[in-house]
Amino acid sequence: MIELQGLTKTYAGKRVVDDVSLTLQSGEFGVLIGPSGCGKSTTLKMINRLIPLSEGRILINGDDVTQLPVEQLRRRIGYAIQSTGLFPHWSVARNVATVPQLLKWPKARIDDRVDELMTLFQLDPAEFRDKYPHQLSGGQAQRVGVARALAADPEVLLMDEPFGAVDPLTRETLQAEMRRVHAQTGKTIVFVTHDMDEALALATRIALLNGGRLVQYERPIEMLVDPADDFVREFIGQADLGLKLLSRRFVHQYQRRARLAPETGLERLDEHAWLVDAEGRPSALAGARLDDADAITRVKPEWIATPEMSMKEALSRMVWYRVTALPVVDRDGRLIAEVGMPGVMGIEGDGAAREAAS
Amino acid sequence: MPREHTPRVIGNRVLLTLWLAAAIGVALLPFATLSPNRLVSGQPVMLWQALPGWQLGALGLIAAGLLLAALARGLASRTACWLGLALTLPLLGLTLFALGDYAQRALAEASPAARVSQGGAFWLLLLAAALIAVDALQRLRLALLARALFALLALGLIGACLASDLLAPLSLMREFANQRDIFVAQGLRHLALVGGALLPALALGLPLGLVATRSRRWRDGLFSVLNVFQTLPSIAVFGLLIAPLAALAHAVPWLGELGVSGIGVAPAIIALVLYSLLPVVRNTYAGLAGVPATTLEAARGMGMTSRQILWRVGLPLALPVILSGLRIVTVQAIGLTVVAALIGAGGFGAFIFQGLGQYAIDLVLLGAIPTIVLAVIADFLLQLLVAASRPPGTR
Amino acid sequence: MSVAAERSGRLRRAATGNLTLALLTLLLVGLTLGMSQLEPLFRALFPDLSQPLYSRDSFLNLMLAHIGLVLVSSLISVSVGVAAGLFVTRPAGREFEPMVSSLAAIGQTFPPAAVLAIAVPLAGFGFTPTIIALSLYGLLPVIQNTIAGLGTVPASTREAARGNGMSAWQILWRVELPLAMRVIIAGVRVSVIINIGTATIGSTVGAKSLGTPLIAGLVGNNLAYVIQGALLVGLLAIVTDLAFERLERRYTFG
Repeated sequence: MIELQGLTKTYAGKRVVDDVSLTLQSGEFGVLIGPSGCGKSTTLKMINRLIPLSEGRILINGDDVTQLPVEQLRRRIGYAIQSTGLFPHWSVARNVATVPQLLKWPKARIDDRVDELMTLFQLDPAEFRDKYPHQLSGGQAQRVGVARALAADPEVLLMDEPFGAVDPLTRETLQAEMRRVHAQTGKTIVFVTHDMDEALALATRIALLNGGRLVQYERPIEMLVDPADDFVREFIGQADLGLKLLSRRFVHQYQRRARLAPETGLERLDEHAWLVDAEGRPSALAGARLDDADAITRVKPEWIATPEMSMKEALSRMVWYRVTALPVVDRDGRLIAEVGMPGVMGIEGDGAAREAAS
Repeated sequence: MPREHTPRVIGNRVLLTLWLAAAIGVALLPFATLSPNRLVSGQPVMLWQALPGWQLGALGLIAAGLLLAALARGLASRTACWLGLALTLPLLGLTLFALGDYAQRALAEASPAARVSQGGAFWLLLLAAALIAVDALQRLRLALLARALFALLALGLIGACLASDLLAPLSLMREFANQRDIFVAQGLRHLALVGGALLPALALGLPLGLVATRSRRWRDGLFSVLNVFQTLPSIAVFGLLIAPLAALAHAVPWLGELGVSGIGVAPAIIALVLYSLLPVVRNTYAGLAGVPATTLEAARGMGMTSRQILWRVGLPLALPVILSGLRIVTVQAIGLTVVAALIGAGGFGAFIFQGLGQYAIDLVLLGAIPTIVLAVIADFLLQLLVAASRPPGTR
Repeated sequence: MSVAAERSGRLRRAATGNLTLALLTLLLVGLTLGMSQLEPLFRALFPDLSQPLYSRDSFLNLMLAHIGLVLVSSLISVSVGVAAGLFVTRPAGREFEPMVSSLAAIGQTFPPAAVLAIAVPLAGFGFTPTIIALSLYGLLPVIQNTIAGLGTVPASTREAARGNGMSAWQILWRVELPLAMRVIIAGVRVSVIINIGTATIGSTVGAKSLGTPLIAGLVGNNLAYVIQGALLVGLLAIVTDLAFERLERRYTFG
């Protein structure tokens, strides 16, 4: 667990980090994000005391970081930066072994650990142990950088824009790998980025900073749904972040109970409802058309949703077929639930249909 | 821009230029000079007068081979380069042998006081051989080690000629034979002066370079002071040190007993150290400042102490640059030590200035040639060292 | 440090630099013309010397001779050196570039004093061998820096110039040379400073220079002569170096 309490950094009278307080539980993936100059990197570097703090306290698992000898503290905390941070004159194996060597582990244990980490990051030890950083691709170098940071099994891992210098495709691969490694190791991670996509892809908690102040500290979904102020809204609203978020959310999270239409009196319905055939397959939707609220629309196979479908795809179908709700069907094509605009807005489903799906 | 591809008649214009320059030089300059005694200036002897038929024939064959390599019609360009490179060794050997052979024959008929000296064409042929080799080695893109091996081969050839009695009849070699003991002593003195200056220069310069990385104010001041020394003519620094050192030795007698005085070794070494400091400090600073900031931050973030960062990261990465500085100062010190002979410090420069004073050209060459050879060899060796010091990951 | 502070600091340093240069130049001229006024001082400093002031020639003559040696040789070095550097960087001469570069590099390892000495058997004693040695030696840094300077011009810049319809000549004059100028001047600076020093030793091969009193003092054990020669030649070198520093700064872009 990492606790920042009233953390403040003053440079020449200017408060570049201003009274930041937050708590990150063990095993969480915290992302510090904000525009350049917002103090996110400074905040990160105060945790391992690369930058001395001016006011406030930082506790790691209850220990005040300023109370520990600084080198000992840093060896307890993994630190990964852009790939240029690799030592160019050392082989991959020696780079990964940096902290274990500083901690004077026995050689056999270091070797085992290096192999284990390289395997974790899908770098074949036989092939990569003796390579030098300049022989690696950007993505490989970055994996080595993270492996090095994890070498001594640190309690906490700090990452300062580690994927800033790699191409977008590699970055997405590395992000996926990072999610996997986080899930496998359960490390507490603090990660700095300026890229909201990256934050959404990785974080379990996002801390948005601006001008040195903590603007919002929230789970990603809540931050999207409920931005604290206009700054947050603007920061998130850049580009098509909403869509990208939807692409990482799935129908089964947002589906709700589908209302079946009565046999008669369809025209008096105050809400939309589904008609099903004898096998329980959706045949038509009464209401919920964008252009004609009272129309009855035949269900076509193209606009049926499944629980595994991404919300982005679901939204796309809704827009294309001009409806505000899609039928969600199981593998046999039977109606189990519906997904609609509230789901797209991020309002989670009632879970009622999940049993039906399972 | 699309380069026009004209069919090339000439394979290697550099080699052709060298060939023509050497041919014109050989036609115009004497290969040797023959003088009745040491004091009279000699009579020029042209190449075709000095060499017997078979040597001229051999030289002609070598020249024809080189011309073939230059024109390279029907030869792959690498083959042509190898041919040119291979021919430089016989060219070198033949030139040396022909001069010694001519001296032997000429002196057999002349009075014992007569002397044979090398002429312009002789130097030109040696220079041509060297340059052709340099050109071929560059075109073949051989590794530094392969070049070193070839240089060793050529040096071995020259060494063998010097060690045998082949060149002994030459005026220069006679002078050498007369001065052998002094030559060795002055050579050792030369090296001692260079070494004696480099050690303190490193001992002072490395820490000062470290200081320069820590403080900008120090760096600016240090560099401007040291730059002044680099600017001052060496002889002026030697000269200006005489009075204060003489006064110092006078005021502190035990210093005088240690050998400190206005002239001789003490001012020479002090001046050499002052000259050597700037490159050492500047390169130490540049090497350390050239380590990427992210690498240093990573090292700190991993929990290395500043000492560990310096020894494990900073110095290994800066070492090639620091050694390049050492290369500069070593070559520079070898040259400046020549001038130190003027204030009585000895070394090869003593021959030069003694020779200039007496108008004894052989004596001048006896000082100048070994100094140049020393400088070139030191430069090459340190170049190898710089290459070897590059960490495998940064090569 | 903020950009403005950095800038004002640089301006201040440049201003104090200009002042230093002016004062040193004044001192150099004053000493050259008025060294004889200092005779009482030298007499007091070296009471044992019967002749504490070099008088075989005026210091003005020596200074002019020294400057003349350096000027003539440097003009030769610069014109030949820049021309050679240009030749080997044009398509026609590119084949000669590696050879010329390594000659320039190897040649600079030769000690200047040894080069001067070797010129004697080739050209005798006096002005000529000194000029030959100085020009040849001074050539090398000029060539090296001309090649290096032209090499720093980014290919994209050259391509842009060509794309804008400049001829090869115009590219050279309007783009390449101005951009390479600072590095070329740095080479000329090295060459001239080395030549000022080597010209001093030129007096050992019979060329008149500020080294004449210096060497005469060393040979004749007259420290006053040594100091007079050394002071003047040292000042000359420093003033020249500072002046070149100014010049280089003028060609620093960005």
